[in-house]
Amino acid sequence: MKNMKNNLDEMQEAKLLQIEHNACWLAFWGLLAALVVQLFLFGMDSFRILAGEWIVFMVLAVYLSAACLKNGIWDRRLKADRRTNLLVSLVAAAAAALLFGGVALVRYHSAGGALAAALISLVLVFACCFAALSLTARSYKKTLARLESQGDEDAESD
Amino acid sequence: MAKNLKLKAARAGHDLSQQELAELVGVSRQTINAIEKGEYNPTIKLCRAICRALGTTLNDLFWEENEE
Repeated sequence: MKNMKNNLDEMQEAKLLQIEHNACWLAFWGLLAALVVQLFLFGMDSFRILAGEWIVFMVLAVYLSAACLKNGIWDRRLKADRRTNLLVSLVAAAAAALLFGGVALVRYHSAGGALAAALISLVLVFACCFAALSLTARSYKKTLARLESQGDEDAESD
Repeated sequence: MAKNLKLKAARAGHDLSQQELAELVGVSRQTINAIEKGEYNPTIKLCRAICRALGTTLNDLFWEENEE
């Protein structure tokens, strides 16, 4: 198919990109909210009910991460260092502990079970999150170094 | 961003409406309006197209001495 003519000028294109950006994050946080609500409604043994939302959410998250890594982009404000990764992992682990502890308490009415679910999520999510962040930070630094050196080579060959 | 009065004056000097200038450079009228009102920062490509259409230079239309 031939490339169709773009009906938008550069300002309209920029506005459309902003609208699509907002829609993307609305979908991301909306899906996460839907997953949390359904976890509270149906409990933790409801993977079949959550599967659709979970798959779309993960595809979105993996695409965003992979595309950023490929282009040597980490975050607007956070740095890809060990201290920041530790802090982010701790925040994620605390959120997961609250979520799964809360779900266990609401669904199964057991304080002991809720505490166990919270502790297990805290440890597991912290370990997984910190490992994933450390690996991706390493990959990001390598990509960034490669992209920066490519720029130098291009400048020298001009 | 400050209003681009130089662009407005140059366009008026050529007796062109926003619509006519927009058609000359291949954008919408709302884009020319947004540039004149300082609401949109155009790319260098569009700046050059506007300069060519109005027979001026980038310095004449888009350079500000004390830009913050």
